[in-house]
Amino acid sequence: MSIASALGGAADASLLAAVAVLLVLSTVAAIAPRSRANPQALSLSLSALACVGIFGLGVSVIASGTPLLASAGDVLGFALIHVRYDPLGGLFLVVLGVAGAASSVFGIGYTAHGASGDRTAAAYPVFIASLALVFGADDVFAFLFAWEIMALSSAILVVGSRPSADVARAGYLYLALTHLATAALIIAFAILAATAGSTSFGAFGQAAARLPPGARDIVFLLLLLGFGTKAGAIPLHVWLPRAHPVAPSHVSALMSGVMIKAGVYGIVRFGLDLLGPGPEWWGLLVLAIGVASAVLGVLYALMEHDLKRLLAFHSIENIGIILIGVGVAILALGDGATALAAVALTAALFHTLNHALFKSVLFLAAGSIQSAVGSRDLNVLGGLARAMPVTALAFGIGAAAISGLPPLNGFASEWLTFQGLIGAGGDPALSLVARSAVLLTVAGLALTAALAVACFVKATGMSFLALPRSPGAAGARETGRTMGAAMASLAIACIGVGIAAGPVSSVILEVAGELVGSGSHAAATGAVGGIGAVYAAAPLTVLLVAIAGVTWLVGVRRRQTRRTATWTCGIVPEPAFEYTATSYAKLIRLYFGPVLRPVREISVEFHPGTPFARTVRYRGEVSHLIDERLYRPLHRAAIDAAQLVRRLQSGSLQLYLAYAVTALIALLLLAHA
Amino acid sequence: MITPTVVQTLVPAVIQAALTLLVAPLLLGITKRVKARLQYRRGPSLLQPYRDLAKWWAKESVESDAASPLTAAAPAIVLATVVVATLLVPMVAVRAPLDGWGDLLVVVGLMALGRFVLALSALDAGSAFGGMGSSREVAIATLVEPALLLALTGAALAAGSTDLGTIAARGAASGISWYTPALLLAAAAYAIVAVAETGHEPVDNPDTHLELTMIHEGMLLEASGPRLAILMYAAELKLVLVVGLFAAAFLPLGAAVDLTPLALVIAIGAALAKLVGAAIVLGVLDAALAKLRLLALPGLLATASIIAAIGLATRLWLPA
Repeated sequence: MSIASALGGAADASLLAAVAVLLVLSTVAAIAPRSRANPQALSLSLSALACVGIFGLGVSVIASGTPLLASAGDVLGFALIHVRYDPLGGLFLVVLGVAGAASSVFGIGYTAHGASGDRTAAAYPVFIASLALVFGADDVFAFLFAWEIMALSSAILVVGSRPSADVARAGYLYLALTHLATAALIIAFAILAATAGSTSFGAFGQAAARLPPGARDIVFLLLLLGFGTKAGAIPLHVWLPRAHPVAPSHVSALMSGVMIKAGVYGIVRFGLDLLGPGPEWWGLLVLAIGVASAVLGVLYALMEHDLKRLLAFHSIENIGIILIGVGVAILALGDGATALAAVALTAALFHTLNHALFKSVLFLAAGSIQSAVGSRDLNVLGGLARAMPVTALAFGIGAAAISGLPPLNGFASEWLTFQGLIGAGGDPALSLVARSAVLLTVAGLALTAALAVACFVKATGMSFLALPRSPGAAGARETGRTMGAAMASLAIACIGVGIAAGPVSSVILEVAGELVGSGSHAAATGAVGGIGAVYAAAPLTVLLVAIAGVTWLVGVRRRQTRRTATWTCGIVPEPAFEYTATSYAKLIRLYFGPVLRPVREISVEFHPGTPFARTVRYRGEVSHLIDERLYRPLHRAAIDAAQLVRRLQSGSLQLYLAYAVTALIALLLLAHA
Repeated sequence: MITPTVVQTLVPAVIQAALTLLVAPLLLGITKRVKARLQYRRGPSLLQPYRDLAKWWAKESVESDAASPLTAAAPAIVLATVVVATLLVPMVAVRAPLDGWGDLLVVVGLMALGRFVLALSALDAGSAFGGMGSSREVAIATLVEPALLLALTGAALAAGSTDLGTIAARGAASGISWYTPALLLAAAAYAIVAVAETGHEPVDNPDTHLELTMIHEGMLLEASGPRLAILMYAAELKLVLVVGLFAAAFLPLGAAVDLTPLALVIAIGAALAKLVGAAIVLGVLDAALAKLRLLALPGLLATASIIAAIGLATRLWLPA
């Protein structure tokens, strides 16, 4: 790190250039005509290298603390693209670098199975490049350019891999919502740019302070709408569980691990950094969205038995946890409690990094399962642990990490989030309403964590344990070396970051502290008792492993063990006796009935004239509250409005001319009035 | 070279570790004895749990041939989480044996880790009973955890820290003034969830293997031999942990603040009294209450959450 800062910006700029060159080469390699077993291998390898460079760039920017400035495309003295990577951007580059490198390496093995069409391969490096640009764009044009390329390239990757009506519908919804989001952003940026008299983000900071409060509120809401949609926050999440599962798994990992974080980046960069302290309701609103996303996300995840859809709903949950941290940070910043704001923001950014690690490993493992079994339906998997030990172990570690279990990385950032909540609840600088809200959030976050444990016991157990539930699962074999290496390295990263939670969080605290204007690291650590002062991850892990190891040696390994069939009351054990994913979640479905509103329908058809059933049909489903209460009425209202407007269209040319004349006269009158 | 401060921290730590690890099966014996007496039975000896553990320890293990390596690893991991969590809770002195290694959130996290591994391993043999117990355990945990954390937050706010040592020290130092309405309500909420967390009536029945009633036992049905011994011991130790957490947060009375021999003797007595008292209460509950229907549990456990939330509200909204 000291070497990087000693070499200074010149080295960083050349690294930036190298990354750009690698990504361009990777794109070229993807379109170049070749005839080999795996036409995408070269392109993906180059992408992986570029991601290593992106990671290095991020680390160097964070370590040096000075922003990296660059501009490209000089035309007549007018630079088209300004980039500025400060430590916040650097942190997101680190996230992109890790998840991108692992996903690319995984993709080498994954695409060799023919799981992804190579017609769309060129969109992959473009997607990575656009993400890297989003985190550093320093003016409106560069940002919106990168933002749109990011949306389009990911949409191509979603839609292009396996064309079907379902996939096309998912892609359409994704594109529609992402453009709604962009529209909101453009309006917000227009207001800011008009006030600043410049399109450079550097000028937005002072401009935001000059905005009248009402306009500032509108800008904040527009930004929240735009970035919240990209992040998949409830109620703007509807595209996410549809688009993520249909993309190839290494793309799902990137979309979920990194792309939705672009929404988080936007909220932090523009809502917190550029707009500065805001009124209390900003924080309360973000907090409410966070809690709703966390709880509903995990509840709907529990009801899923498509493994990748389940994981997609968990992305909504984790975005919720991140937004809880951001919400507390906004609340605390508004009331001048900068040390507390720094801690809460650290929790959010730390969870952003952690989610990228464990969600990527989970999506990659799901891809590994899919290419080995040919299905991702939990009800036909089972028994994969012995046939696919690497995938099983990687998924298990990822599952424990996403469930927020110590000593893994997910626990560390959830621990910090709880510290932020409890700290805010006890901070007299905050209003009573804010303090009550954060304390109630403690219960919401605890509920989320417990539901996540339930969901991942279900997902892991149904995939890997007990007897295989289908011939496909029984015949599964471990997938290739590159896929295994990618999953293993991410799983190790989950453990490593969990054990090194103290040092990692203090680095992120520096980044967060600078953003909220709390220069003093010590003040922030003191605010909640201190990271590392009350949670010593490393010695705790050593002790846990030591006790478990000794117990295992003495109580299990050196003992006699007999293996025999499971006792099932005298009948030969069969997979049909096992709990299924649906039955496993039944009690929770009933407990949370008021929210999930499960529907159960049994229809019995009898043999004529006898009491004997001929067919029994069962249908069970869970209704999605937001879809039914928000989008369906909106949809219906839109159709109704369209029907009304249709009456104006008679098809008669005279009538249309009359409309035009009337409109003209009205406008002229208006102009004279 | 051992400095006095090291001795002063080591001695109560070793005392607590030895005390809690040894006394755990005895508490189960007391609970069963109390229940038996209230049902006009003589009941087994107080030492029966120790004999059971010794018996299982000497036997061979039987493992399902559907099982993955997780089945063998799970008992060791579960025990490790409970032991470490117990050592994080101050019971004898106001400083825990692993003082500074983790706060109440880490303790709750370790309990969740143990639950995760146990609930997973229950699915490994492919038996419907294991799935049933596992499914019920994780579903009830979703109701327990919010109440548990809200209740503990009440204590954390009172002490201004989530560190259990700090909470216990503040509590022990402030005496009766520790018991604000907020804290009493939090304690009441904790008491309700403690029953669920340790698997006693009216939430779970520890004495039955009927599929209609069991939760925790359902997850242990496939365990045998030393593995059963380890898992049973972990469950017994968990009672110590849950009571210890209650004592540290809500009843730090008698815990040694300054480490004189007299204070230590009093502290050992106080810790033992709290543990035995809890065992007796659980025995009485087991005998006096019927198990609630699974679908009635949300009512009981949501009540605990609401009590804890009211406790927090009294702290925030009422003039001090």
